Amino acid sequence: METTQKPPILEMRHIAKRFDTTHALDDVALALYPGEIHALLGENGAGKSTLIKIMTGIYQPDQGEILLDGKPIRIRNSVEAQAHGIAAIYQEPMIFPDLTVAENIFISHRNRGSLLNWGKLYHDADAILAQLDVKLDVRMPARGLTLGAQQIVEIAKAISLRVRVLIMDEPTAALSAHEVRQLFKLTATLRSQGVAILFISHRMEEVFEIADRVTVFRDGKLISSKPRQEVTTESAIRDMVGRQMDEFFAKSQVERGDLLIAVRQLHKENVFTNLNFDVHRGEVLGFAGLVGARRTDVGLALFGVEPADSGDIQLQGKTVKIRAPEQALKLGIAYVTEDRRQLGLTMPMSIATNISLPMLREYLTALGLIKREAEAATAEQYRQRLSIRAASVQAEVGKLSGGNQQKTMLSKWLNTRPQLLILDEPTRGIDVGAKAEVHHIINDLAAQGLGIILISSDLPEVLAMSDRILVMREGRQMGTFSRAEANQEKILTAMMGQERE
Amino acid sequence: MIIGEFTNYHLLPCPKPLCSFHRLFAMNAIKRYFRPEQIRELSLVVLIVLIVLLFSTQIEGYLSGRTFNRIATSVAIIAVVAVGQTLVVLTRNIDLSVGSIVGFTAYVVGTQIASHNDMLPLLAVLMAIGLGAALGLINGLLVAYGRVPAIITTLGSLAIYRAILVESSGAKSVITNTLPTWLIELPQQNLFSIGAINIRPMVALALLIVVIFQLVLVYLPFGRRLYAIGSNPEAARVAGLPAQRIVASAYVLCGALAGLAGFMFLARFGNITVVAAQGLELQVVAAVVVGGVNIFGGSGTMVGALLGAVMIDTLEQSLIRWLQISEFWRDALLGLLILLAVASDAVILNRLRALWARSELTVRTEDKIDQASV
Repeated sequence: METTQKPPILEMRHIAKRFDTTHALDDVALALYPGEIHALLGENGAGKSTLIKIMTGIYQPDQGEILLDGKPIRIRNSVEAQAHGIAAIYQEPMIFPDLTVAENIFISHRNRGSLLNWGKLYHDADAILAQLDVKLDVRMPARGLTLGAQQIVEIAKAISLRVRVLIMDEPTAALSAHEVRQLFKLTATLRSQGVAILFISHRMEEVFEIADRVTVFRDGKLISSKPRQEVTTESAIRDMVGRQMDEFFAKSQVERGDLLIAVRQLHKENVFTNLNFDVHRGEVLGFAGLVGARRTDVGLALFGVEPADSGDIQLQGKTVKIRAPEQALKLGIAYVTEDRRQLGLTMPMSIATNISLPMLREYLTALGLIKREAEAATAEQYRQRLSIRAASVQAEVGKLSGGNQQKTMLSKWLNTRPQLLILDEPTRGIDVGAKAEVHHIINDLAAQGLGIILISSDLPEVLAMSDRILVMREGRQMGTFSRAEANQEKILTAMMGQERE
Repeated sequence: MIIGEFTNYHLLPCPKPLCSFHRLFAMNAIKRYFRPEQIRELSLVVLIVLIVLLFSTQIEGYLSGRTFNRIATSVAIIAVVAVGQTLVVLTRNIDLSVGSIVGFTAYVVGTQIASHNDMLPLLAVLMAIGLGAALGLINGLLVAYGRVPAIITTLGSLAIYRAILVESSGAKSVITNTLPTWLIELPQQNLFSIGAINIRPMVALALLIVVIFQLVLVYLPFGRRLYAIGSNPEAARVAGLPAQRIVASAYVLCGALAGLAGFMFLARFGNITVVAAQGLELQVVAAVVVGGVNIFGGSGTMVGALLGAVMIDTLEQSLIRWLQISEFWRDALLGLLILLAVASDAVILNRLRALWARSELTVRTEDKIDQASV
């Protein structure tokens, strides 16, 4: 291609960034050329977001240099990123709903005079949209625009700032197929105008449709960077996976018990559709998928937080309608959230008070006072059983390590005596030792006859811990794999939406 | 798509009076010329007229210049503070200390004028504005740079400013007859008359301030950034807006306007005790919210805030005259109005917006994108 002969607009060399003990980025390099669409692939946690944040000035790299037109630069904040012609659009557009389309486009401009000329503002906004070959009413407030139209406003905003490097972070994740076509057309227009585009997507077919070059990150490292013609879906997936599995504890085989829950045709408008699965006692059903696969929404639906619109749920042979969490609790369903901090625990309170919270009614005297000893006794049981490391059960949860918080949260829900336990990312953000302990606990619980749904973005974990794996992609069930037939590449291929051969 | 067809067919005769097609067209005409926020402001005007008509049948001699003057003078003070409050509320913050700032400046400026009767009027006004701005700056620094939540900061400064005033005054009051005559006569002076209605300097000043700040909102980058920050703080950060500086400026302006209102308060009442303007924040927040300024920031106008002030003050003053209700019931009424306004905002305005968005924006934009792609 002729354009690749030109020197790169933006070049990043030996970039490293650490958070505490983890290497978010480890000596990565990336060069963006004018008129080239550069796709960046990687699993969750591969370091893509960190790189974007460095490019837009939100993070500073610990090491490495950034070159703009061959000259080293520093990007200290988003204003400087803009000044260098670097702009980013995200999965969730960053628009101002109360401002008009035109105001949104020009919001970051500092030199449009001290007095607003509304006529000129609208005129200029129209001109930019015309340049993109798009027609939008620039006088209308951005509230109520479709997501696709909002993305277009974001792109127009970038154009108005004379963008030279446009970062598109999963821009298509929330768009309809038609809107995706629109966006790609726009992207092609920008490429022809000499903009360098960094395109991040989990959708393989999109990457292969529009990218000129494909780079793969894994665990913060640059794995490969090749022209598109030299990359196949298989090779890209192989580069994305490839982690060692030996650190994982594998679930021991448990006699599969009775059918616990049977879900048929579960549907929620615009969220997920046509989900069918069973969970038996003693079984772990893994839910695999990428961000936006809507796995958490299934958990929330089964627990009644965000009930499904339609579908049939049979619990031990009886049809149930789950409308609220209280009801789910009575039915013996518990959901352990992925968001410990926001939804899972009350951080300033003690382990004991956290554990008793959903079942507080059982810890009341006849006068409605809380039996603190009984509460502490229960907590103490769990502390020993799950080996929560804390001075006492009166310790403040917020002061515990992530792993011990996770165990406290597990205790809280185990204390509701569930039959079906839904675990959403139970090992995210906890250290290796605690992770192994949580895996042991899951194993024990299954052995005791609980049915477990394990939602996890950690693919090796899902593979090691599940008896069967259900793969979701954008709210659809892509397939269910038995333990014997599942392997990383098969699961990842299904997660990416590739047809099985 | 629908729009396109309308422009072709709406001129054709309608077989029945207002078939669904033409009814929809009429709807679209409304939509083209008004935004939901403007509809809300129009409905406030209608409501105010209805209130006035209602009371005119109940109170003898209600529709008179005297009633207008009494209400207008009272509204003027609330409106000036409400303009400042609107600046702050637009950024998704609040200033509860305005009542204390008004009382503080009224008292301090009052004692100064009382002891220096020859002070230039302009100097007195500037002093009030400067004092208010300084108190506003403290709020602004704490909220914008100290990241203390606005409601806590200003609840604290509400108490602190008032406490400083009470402590330092030694429980003495400003008394009317120690003030110079120009100040005492200021509220009664007449700029010009329209029939029996006198336009007084303070009313004219309030109107001028509403107009100026309405123009600031529409025509200055500062105004637009206020909306942007309140509309989506995260996006404002990503867009590189100097959010801290803008929020702090909003508090300074709010304080300065409250200071000016403090001067007006002094001129109007003459006798200023240490509890002057206590509870004014309730009236001001009520005016702003009833006037359609979104308490979560991002939308609202100065004209709306003025209408809100007119509405609550008219209701208040008239009810006092009609039923001779106590001051305590008046506060309950204000509270009720705030709740009603916020509740109606949540329901009605959102519904209006959805209606606007659905048929006008989405359809049209998608349609045009379709055409563009062909």
